[in-house]
Amino acid sequence: MDAQIVVVIAGVILVFVIIASLVVLRTNGGRFTFDTQNGTRPRATEGEGSTPGVTFKGRFTMLAIGAGSIFAAIIARLWSMQMVSSDYYEDLAVQNQTRTVTTPAPRGRILDRNGRPLVTNRASLTVAAYRDMADNTIVVRHLSNVLGMPYVAVRRNIQDYNQGAQSLHTIATDVRRSTVAHIQEHPVDFAGVEVVERTERVYPEGDLAAHVLGYTGTITQEQLEGQSEDGTDAGAIHYESGDIVGQAGVEIQYESLLQGIRGEQTVQVDASGNVTDATAAIPPEPGSDIKLTLDIDIQRACEEGLDRALEVAHQFGFTNAKCGACVCLDCTNGDILGMASAPTFDPSVFIGGVSNDDWAMLNSEDGGYPMINRSIAGEYMSASTIKPLSALAALEYDIFTDTQSTVCEGWWTGMGESNGRWCYNHSGHGTINLQYGLTMSCDVVFYEIGKGFYDSEKNPEGLQEVFRRWGLGEATGVDLPGEGVGRVPDAAWKNEYFSSWDDADRTWNPGDMCNIVIGQGDILVTPLQMACVYAGIANGGKEFTPHILLSALSRDGVGDAVTYEPRERLTGEFRKDSDLELVKNGLIGVIYDESPSQAAHFTNLDVTVAGKTGTGEKSGQDDYGWFVAYAPADDPKYVIASVIEQGGFGSNSALYAVRTVLGSIYDSPDTASVTMGESQ
Amino acid sequence: MPQTATDASSDALKRVNRQVSATRGSFSRNVNIPLLVAAVLLIAYGALVIWSASLTMPEASFPRHLLGIGLGAVLGVLCWRTDLRGLSNITTPLLILDVIVIFSPYIPGLSYNAMGMTGWIQIPFIGLTFQPVELAKIITVFVMAAYGAQYNGHIETVRDYVKICGMLAIPFCAIILAGDLGSGLVVFFSGAIIIMMSGPKKEWVLSTIAIIIGLVALLLAADSVVDRLLGHDVLLKQYQINRLLVFIDPTADTSGSGYNLMQSLIAVGSGGFFGKGIGAATQAGEGFLPEAHTDFVFALLSEEFGFAGALVLLALFALLIFSAIRVAFRSSSLYLKLVAVGVVGIWMFQLLENVGMCIGLMPITGIPLPFISFGSSSMLMQMANVGIVQSIWRLRSKTA
Repeated sequence: MDAQIVVVIAGVILVFVIIASLVVLRTNGGRFTFDTQNGTRPRATEGEGSTPGVTFKGRFTMLAIGAGSIFAAIIARLWSMQMVSSDYYEDLAVQNQTRTVTTPAPRGRILDRNGRPLVTNRASLTVAAYRDMADNTIVVRHLSNVLGMPYVAVRRNIQDYNQGAQSLHTIATDVRRSTVAHIQEHPVDFAGVEVVERTERVYPEGDLAAHVLGYTGTITQEQLEGQSEDGTDAGAIHYESGDIVGQAGVEIQYESLLQGIRGEQTVQVDASGNVTDATAAIPPEPGSDIKLTLDIDIQRACEEGLDRALEVAHQFGFTNAKCGACVCLDCTNGDILGMASAPTFDPSVFIGGVSNDDWAMLNSEDGGYPMINRSIAGEYMSASTIKPLSALAALEYDIFTDTQSTVCEGWWTGMGESNGRWCYNHSGHGTINLQYGLTMSCDVVFYEIGKGFYDSEKNPEGLQEVFRRWGLGEATGVDLPGEGVGRVPDAAWKNEYFSSWDDADRTWNPGDMCNIVIGQGDILVTPLQMACVYAGIANGGKEFTPHILLSALSRDGVGDAVTYEPRERLTGEFRKDSDLELVKNGLIGVIYDESPSQAAHFTNLDVTVAGKTGTGEKSGQDDYGWFVAYAPADDPKYVIASVIEQGGFGSNSALYAVRTVLGSIYDSPDTASVTMGESQ
Repeated sequence: MPQTATDASSDALKRVNRQVSATRGSFSRNVNIPLLVAAVLLIAYGALVIWSASLTMPEASFPRHLLGIGLGAVLGVLCWRTDLRGLSNITTPLLILDVIVIFSPYIPGLSYNAMGMTGWIQIPFIGLTFQPVELAKIITVFVMAAYGAQYNGHIETVRDYVKICGMLAIPFCAIILAGDLGSGLVVFFSGAIIIMMSGPKKEWVLSTIAIIIGLVALLLAADSVVDRLLGHDVLLKQYQINRLLVFIDPTADTSGSGYNLMQSLIAVGSGGFFGKGIGAATQAGEGFLPEAHTDFVFALLSEEFGFAGALVLLALFALLIFSAIRVAFRSSSLYLKLVAVGVVGIWMFQLLENVGMCIGLMPITGIPLPFISFGSSSMLMQMANVGIVQSIWRLRSKTA
């Protein structure tokens, strides 16, 4: 083929050369009329004025050569384009005519454990543009007119720096069809404006469980770049700029289940983009619906309980109480039935891109950082709620036996008079044993334990070891992002943490031990960790990994594609069953025996409750109130843990949150009047 | 290859005819047969291309194209039968007419501005539309040939040389002012060839070229400065600069100015050797190639008929142009010689510019490909050009 073409080309070029040379050669053949008619050639160029000179021959030769070179240049260029590079241009021609059209796949819904929807979808027509369009004032003004939005608002949305620099910036959502049609009919007036059909999240329960559910947003630049590295496996979802992805909570945790797979179709188009032919299409695959372990009723009770606890705290004068958490677990399998954090936020503000003002508000100290899920990310000193573990540790290492007793006079001088410490009950509890000490939350009993561990030669850190064995100081492994780890302090930690201090000041001392044994000082736990500890106590030592996903429905809607199997996380071992019995009885005592006003809240419940109050002391702030409980005490199922920041005593704040949840579970609201309790 | 055969046979025919004409005053005495054959084949080729374009593009009306050819044939025959030497005596009126014709689209009552087009007039009462710049090209040739012929083939003084260059500057600047850079360059090119054929000294020509290059460079450099000082586009229009920039790198901007060029390159390149066949051009047929029947008709032709088809076209143009050069060479009248040279210049430059822009050799301007592009104004005037050159052939002997 190639050789043949070369011959053809050579032939054609030859023809051009011949044609050109014929003209030139003819002049040499004596046919130049001017010469023959004059008989003689002009002798010089300035010869006979009326006769054009022989120099025309040279001029015409030049003209012919000029014309020939034009042809040569064109043929050379055509040769390189049509013969050498024609495959390249053919590919471009084919590319011109084919487009891959993608159809967005709806995101999976999020349901509660009974299949009631927490998050669903609806279609929305969205007008969007890239950031550089903000400089085009004419188009922005046009847009502001047709969208009925202020010019400044349109411009701000285009420039919104919370959305990726290269991604499409949403200008308006839920745009009317007529408006969209107008925009699409005037592509010149709205150059750079794109209309996108997106499915938007709908929250039928409002801000319920906002922290657990999280929110969605346009994919960020980091997320886009991040996927290319691990997006090698086939079948992985490939994100494009402008895609809506989970940004927090379950939405991001189970992004791979919730995200659908975009449909794709290769179509033949003409220059105007009209589809002339379509080839086989891959239909969009909607994301899986997922069921959470949450129960809408219990979730609502957790949130209402928090509100009530904050309200009660305010009644008692703790007006700084604004934040708190409340989590409810099923201790038999680790299901999270409810998880609330205050203050909360409305996930719908993120639909179509959150505004700068909203974003600033959601991340401000004044607003109490509402986006933090305090149930898992809030790290607090555990206060007296740690005492059951302290008691178990004391029993295990014979620091304080079940038959031993001590005398509480309200002022403990076990470390010498100068280092004396108050029991919260300054008038003293009198002679008191371990179980009653737990019930009454007597600090003196636990100071003795702390000192005992400190003095113990064999197990000076036995207490911390037990705390860790029950899961403190490490993440619970809940399937939610942003979990806090907490902290179980010991000598090594102190030495390391205060490395800039003098050696004397960072030595582990009896006072540190006496702090952590009653959950004060440097110990930090999350509400979920405490719920797990109490689930373990209620469950005979067995703790399940807390989890939020119950199942993922298969994409065709029939049956479950993925079902969560409860996983045993750890077994909080104890020496003998009687040790645990002692602790359990002590916890039941907290509810019914510690104080009449406290018992009054629980006596109308059909089930027996076991629990513990706690009051964390933080310098410069009001006390942090804790309450953790499980029920029924004889056959435990529900564990509820709550903390109210700066809410005062646990019995005056967090207790009301827990009681509200119990009231919802057992359909038995709290009827006792709100009275100032004094238990710690 | 068919065109080789055609050339051979027409060449043979010419030789026979010339022998015949020596004895009897026959057809070939009055008609340059190679030129006629080239023109007829080009027009036929163009008609084929426009017909194929009309299959997918309603604006490429084949009957209108045929009408243009018909009117052009009449005009061509009229020109052929006319002794044009008389025109050399009315140079000044011709120059005035030339400027009037150039600016006629701005005359109220004549101007015709439909669909954003400029440079058109509508002839009153008849309703026909026409692009006067096409007429201006040939009038300019007559004017320039008349000035050039005054010097008997030798421009002796710089004063004369500057004077004749100034004469060319008048219609050139008028066309530029009227907003048609492409046609301005056609006039400039053909006028410049007439001047060079009129016999100026080589040093003058070279200095003139140097000065022009310098001025253009200065203009490009000064353009942005002047624009900024005055606050709006004055010297070169922004689209002209864009065209120049994408000419250097067609992929630089594939949505704006570079789009046309890129689509044209794709059309030509994807044609391959034999092309995609009549009516099977995807670039033109599906609208990717803009102006496929007018300015970018060569890209359409190349896509449909490939390298082979493009070579046929170039061979026909070569026959046309070299035959016309021969006619000019053979003419005994210096005036008619220069007129023929001017026509050759028009054809050469329009071929170079139109084909060149389709294949990325030249910047994009809006000038048609003679005999091929859709558009009656161009067709009429190009066929008149053929008639003029045939007339010059007819009157080639000194005594005629």
